[in-house]
Amino acid sequence: MLATLLSATLIGLDGRVIQVEVDVAGGLPGFTIVGLADTALQEARERVRGAIRNAGFSFPPRRITVNLAPAEERKSGASLDLAIALGILLGSEQVRAGPGRIALVGELSLGGEVRPVPGVLPMTAALARRRLRRVVVPASAVAEASLVDGIEVIGVASLGEAAEIIRRRPSRRAIVMPPRVDLVVDPSPGSSPGSSAATSGTVEGDTDGESVPRGFAGPDLAEVRGQLEARRALEVGLAGGHGLLLVGPPGSGKTLIARTIAGLLPPLGDREALAATVVASAAGEGPLRELVRRAPVRAPHHTLSYAAMVGGGPRLSPGEVTRADHGVLFLDELPEFSRDVLEALRQPLEDGRVSIARAGRATTFPAEFQLVAAMNPCPCGFAGTEDGGCRCTPGIPERYAGRVSGPFRDRIDLWVTMPKVRPAALVAGPDPESSAVVAVRIAAAREIQRERNLGRLNGRMSGRTLRAICGLTPATTRRAIDLAELEGLSGRGTERLLRVARTIADLAGMRTVEADHLEEAARYRSPVATLAIREAS
Amino acid sequence: MLGVGVGGPVGSESEASSAAETRDRGARGGAGTFTGLTERETWAVITSVVGLGPVGFGALLRHFGSGRAILEAAGRPGAAALFVRVAADGPRRIFGDAVANLIVDVAGHPETVLEEIEAAGVTVVTLDDPAYPARLRAIEMPPHVLFVEGDVDVLAADRAVAVVGTRRATEAGRRTAARIGAAIATTGATVVSGLAVGIDGAAQAAVTAVGGRTVAVLGSGHARLYPRAHALLARSIIATGGAIVSEMPPSTRPTSGTFPRRNRLISGLADATIVVEAAEKSGALITAGWALEQGRECFMVPGPLDAPRSKGCLRWLRDYPDQARIVAGIPELIEDLALLGRSDRTGRPARPSLEAELIELGAGARAVATALVGGCGTLDELVAATGFQPAAALGALTLLEVRGLAASAYGRYRPAGRLMAEDLATPGPRRSTSREKAVPGAIEDP
Repeated sequence: MLATLLSATLIGLDGRVIQVEVDVAGGLPGFTIVGLADTALQEARERVRGAIRNAGFSFPPRRITVNLAPAEERKSGASLDLAIALGILLGSEQVRAGPGRIALVGELSLGGEVRPVPGVLPMTAALARRRLRRVVVPASAVAEASLVDGIEVIGVASLGEAAEIIRRRPSRRAIVMPPRVDLVVDPSPGSSPGSSAATSGTVEGDTDGESVPRGFAGPDLAEVRGQLEARRALEVGLAGGHGLLLVGPPGSGKTLIARTIAGLLPPLGDREALAATVVASAAGEGPLRELVRRAPVRAPHHTLSYAAMVGGGPRLSPGEVTRADHGVLFLDELPEFSRDVLEALRQPLEDGRVSIARAGRATTFPAEFQLVAAMNPCPCGFAGTEDGGCRCTPGIPERYAGRVSGPFRDRIDLWVTMPKVRPAALVAGPDPESSAVVAVRIAAAREIQRERNLGRLNGRMSGRTLRAICGLTPATTRRAIDLAELEGLSGRGTERLLRVARTIADLAGMRTVEADHLEEAARYRSPVATLAIREAS
Repeated sequence: MLGVGVGGPVGSESEASSAAETRDRGARGGAGTFTGLTERETWAVITSVVGLGPVGFGALLRHFGSGRAILEAAGRPGAAALFVRVAADGPRRIFGDAVANLIVDVAGHPETVLEEIEAAGVTVVTLDDPAYPARLRAIEMPPHVLFVEGDVDVLAADRAVAVVGTRRATEAGRRTAARIGAAIATTGATVVSGLAVGIDGAAQAAVTAVGGRTVAVLGSGHARLYPRAHALLARSIIATGGAIVSEMPPSTRPTSGTFPRRNRLISGLADATIVVEAAEKSGALITAGWALEQGRECFMVPGPLDAPRSKGCLRWLRDYPDQARIVAGIPELIEDLALLGRSDRTGRPARPSLEAELIELGAGARAVATALVGGCGTLDELVAATGFQPAAALGALTLLEVRGLAASAYGRYRPAGRLMAEDLATPGPRRSTSREKAVPGAIEDP
């Protein structure tokens, strides 16, 4: 007998609805899956066989053929397990289906338990778009699937429960769900600011007035003593979404200061939160209980591969650049990353998205992240320290800095060199500001930018739009030209100066960019430009 | 020793006609005749051959009589073999087939070298020219050709002192070099150095900051200026009336061999050489060695016993007690160099005083400048000393940096230019009254 069920798989960030047809027929006992299934799916045969037996059903000793439609599309992952198993139970008439279409998503254990799978949110959304009324998901993923409007979500913990659900009639009672959102994910960068009431650009949004997002366990800025220059640059960088590079010897606190970032970013607005939630779900960070409101901070290790950075693999999984969308990508030990991996950041840094193509499939992921990087000043790490601990010959530190190549140089607005803190500064001196205080200023500056720049941060502005917003007076224009000489008069250097000065003015709540904003902005220029004037008078 | 007399007829004749001949060069006859070239140009062409040093070129000149004759000989069959015979006509062979062939090659295309010289905008000065610095003429094996950017006359200055040292200088060493450079420059003497990072650059930057004249001797060609980080310093050296000198044609790349070779020119262009910081094995000590061989004075700035970058200076003071003299203080150094009482600051445009310049920059910049001179090296320290907000202190640093009064490297800040040079070494030589004031040791602990 033939049974037809619906399920879904994940390709990239999208759920794909899959029709699962199971034919249980006479003939030599066998179990075949057709329809371009990958290894994980082929192995579903063993999982399904075990789960059916151990859940108290019997595995029919007949010829079982499973067809996955559409047939020409590659399918992967274990999310179809539950549908295949129920198809066999229906086909062998061990279970009778009640009325109404139903979809099932979930992986099976050999014992018949239903396990969570990555991407329940986009899969449920895809099913909802097909006007499905009910979906069965792993019990732990109910909250995540319930974020989708217009579909009844039923959680099951085992194959037996799922069979029970199939037997039942659809319930009539309306199910009250947590706040829902219309799940049409728009991967285009520069999404609009969202509805102003719910936009959580300010700290007072729906996070109960907390300036630091809930559940944040990283260090607080109050723990960072000294390093005023780096603290200030971090504040400016996060306020304007500027690329930031921290250079300093080991132990100067680069990594510590970078770890405070998560506690400084304002919560995401609705639109960004939705996109972030889909990415988190597809990346298997689930099960998620609510919309991801905390801006992501990704800190991949420098040994990561090209595919891990940009995304890829059989299912076109999102890479680090996509998982850092609307958040921060922190690259510690920047020059140690492989050249390919860094070069791959070129497109996302320019366009805010990344296109990948694998074996006939191509997709574009959102990747609008802020780059924060850290590196040593030289291969041995100690260039510029007072005690002369550097073992590198002259010229080597400059060459090391030169490993940060063109695309990076252009995209990094703020370069900060961190000297080693003297022990005296660690014990004496005034107490540093806490993350909460700085986060309020960052959020306020971002709010100003969103309103003026149509939802974009200053770090993403360039060319005419930048000049239109930067608010230079004739006097400050003159000053900007003077200071641009420090940048070697390059067009990019001048833009960088204006962008950063605009953010500094926003932090100060000023409509116009003043001379002192420009002067401070000029401090954060690339040390490669600084080198040229080091000895000159 | 040389076949061509000093300041001989060739020199003066070529000076008068060189411009016209340069223009007519395109119209010169077929290969083998070099009527379009001045004698000076033929020298530049021949000495551009890599591997042909002063000895080899000297031998060729003695044999053929002039650069033109050498080039004409190179156009004849069997020229390379003839050159090798000339080179072998002595106690030892000076060069071999490879160099001889290169001479023949370059004689076929003299215009490539000449175009390169023209593009770099450098002046060619030969041993035959009256403008050739007498001090350099006096050394053993002076280069036959010098390429000079800037004022050629500065090479013949009345008094010239070389200030050299390690590239990996300490802050205190840089400061000492800057003060010495500025003090020498204010007496009107020329400061000679190698434009390297570290001591050389600090000394030369200080000279330009006080409006003095300095000569940079390159270890590369002018078009391959090294280190690139000093391109702006090189510009300000030219702007303040100094010169940039190399014995190599403009397109010569810097290699590990070119620097020790140019060191003999640094010492040779100076009456005395001062080594500020030198590790056990330092190129600065090679310069000092040349100075002694050339019969010039040699001064060493001492330093703490356990400072690795003072080891070389201290060793020399111990090993060569009769030759290496000690720098016991800047007024003392000026006295020892017999520069006392000299000053040719007349005729230069008056600069506003440092104090006036700081006042013009505003109270914030002035406070930060004072803190910098007081030894604050990081933003943390500057903020603690001035009480400013970090943002305000950063802006003030930019103001100072634009004026060349502050510099930064690796997140540390230091006074630069006049702020470093004029801090203690105020214009004019110091007499005994100032000697009684606390003159800090040449190298202080930071």
